[in-house]
Amino acid sequence: MKKLNTLIQYECTTSFKYIWLFYAIEYAIVLLIYVIVAVLTGDPKNAGTNCLEMNTFIYVGILGALGYSEDFKMMIQNGFTRKYIFTASFVMFAFIGGIMSLVDTVTGNLLHYFLPNYSSLFGVIYGYGDILPNWLWLFLLYMLTCSLFYLAVLTVHKLEKTLSLCLGVVLVGVILLAVALFRYVLPQSLVDDISELATRAMGFMGGGTVNYLFPLLTLFLLTAVFSLGAYRIIRRTEVK
Amino acid sequence: MNAIQINNVTKRYRDVTALDHISCSFEHGKIYGFLGRNGAGKSTLINIIANRIFADDGTILIDGLPAKENMDVHEKIFCMSEADLYDSSLKIKDLFKWIDRFYDSFDAEKAFQIADKFHLDVNKRFKALSKGYQSIFKLTAALSLNVPYLIFDEPVLGLDANHRELFYDLLLKNFESNDQTIIIATHLIEEVANIIEEVVLIDEGKLLLQESVDTLLESGYCVSGLASEVDHYCQDKNVIGNDELGGLKLSYVIGEKTQLPQGSNLQITSMNLQKLFVKLTEKGGE
Repeated sequence: MKKLNTLIQYECTTSFKYIWLFYAIEYAIVLLIYVIVAVLTGDPKNAGTNCLEMNTFIYVGILGALGYSEDFKMMIQNGFTRKYIFTASFVMFAFIGGIMSLVDTVTGNLLHYFLPNYSSLFGVIYGYGDILPNWLWLFLLYMLTCSLFYLAVLTVHKLEKTLSLCLGVVLVGVILLAVALFRYVLPQSLVDDISELATRAMGFMGGGTVNYLFPLLTLFLLTAVFSLGAYRIIRRTEVK
Repeated sequence: MNAIQINNVTKRYRDVTALDHISCSFEHGKIYGFLGRNGAGKSTLINIIANRIFADDGTILIDGLPAKENMDVHEKIFCMSEADLYDSSLKIKDLFKWIDRFYDSFDAEKAFQIADKFHLDVNKRFKALSKGYQSIFKLTAALSLNVPYLIFDEPVLGLDANHRELFYDLLLKNFESNDQTIIIATHLIEEVANIIEEVVLIDEGKLLLQESVDTLLESGYCVSGLASEVDHYCQDKNVIGNDELGGLKLSYVIGEKTQLPQGSNLQITSMNLQKLFVKLTEKGGE
């Protein structure tokens, strides 16, 4: 366990410092855009942006991808097993995801409070005021993104270029087929049932009420599925 | 048993068999030369020992423990590889700091001393170093670890003559003071010939021989003279290669020397390790 703790510390420490660099750049760009738009339009009230969490998505996606490509080699060089590497990577995702979702929740709600024109991602979907569900929802969404990208990079590495491209084509084909099935093949009653299930899975219950537990469970389950997939692949992953 | 035991290891890449049922062992407390031509399978076997890739068949045991996905061997073995697997964005001093935390047996003070001897700038990031200094960093990390088994895969790649001398010097001092097994995979046979005690030679994924350097050098010799006389002398011997020039012939033989026929003009000379390696791998070990 001591070695695992050290590995987790390595993963978290070497990733932690970049969070603040990311936020500094993000808010500097937002401020710059705000100033430029305000000066050009002469109307500072309508200048600005929404859903800054989308930028964090990109960041955690890159983190998920780099979690494999950079850190895996370093950890395997230092004699760690793939089980340890996977565990340390996921603890790091949780650590970074936890901090970034907390920052985004707090800033999203503060920005909306002081600038009512600003909308956070959670606020747009579920409304404002519930900080804890907001944080947990964002946290699981970031974990889902990390695990999805981690799985994707591991798969690409495992399958190599040609097979990965084929897999990408197959996935696009499956998505198009699913859309066509929903539109032209499946009976309307079944499509309605699936839509209702998806709506409930996102927490929208009948009568306009919202259940925060369902989207959290949905995101958790999806994260678990992607993580399990990543674990199964990393156990067979070799250094190239 | 205190050794790295390689049992019937096979590794295939599509149609290529990189390792073909290799079995050998690296006993504790010796310096091994792990030799073979390009593509012979040296790095493949080293990567399997270091749990970087997996064997299709066979097992590897380190002091009786499976090497595959086993944290119990973490403090037993370290592999300095030709490939750059370190976090290239970290400074050298930070890499030392992390290796120190990863391994109980890492001597950080020694690492900084060795770095100083090589004039390695520890404040530079790994990616900012030249290829030679990247190798020096990797050597320094390996030499500062007191693990029972140290593997070097092409350790002096990109190093100038002075740095190579310094490395061999430090390696021997390390070996004298620590109770270690050192395995050196290299093409520079002449450079390591005076250091290694035993040779493991592989070719085309197969084990050609595992023998002590002394025995090899004693049993390998070169017979030169007129082609007909050389052929006659060598007819019952294990000839591993020939060189011909006009009517003169040189045959490289492994085995016991027999007396030269009376009145013959044949000459017997000793064979160095490099020539032995070249001739053995030319022939493919048949």
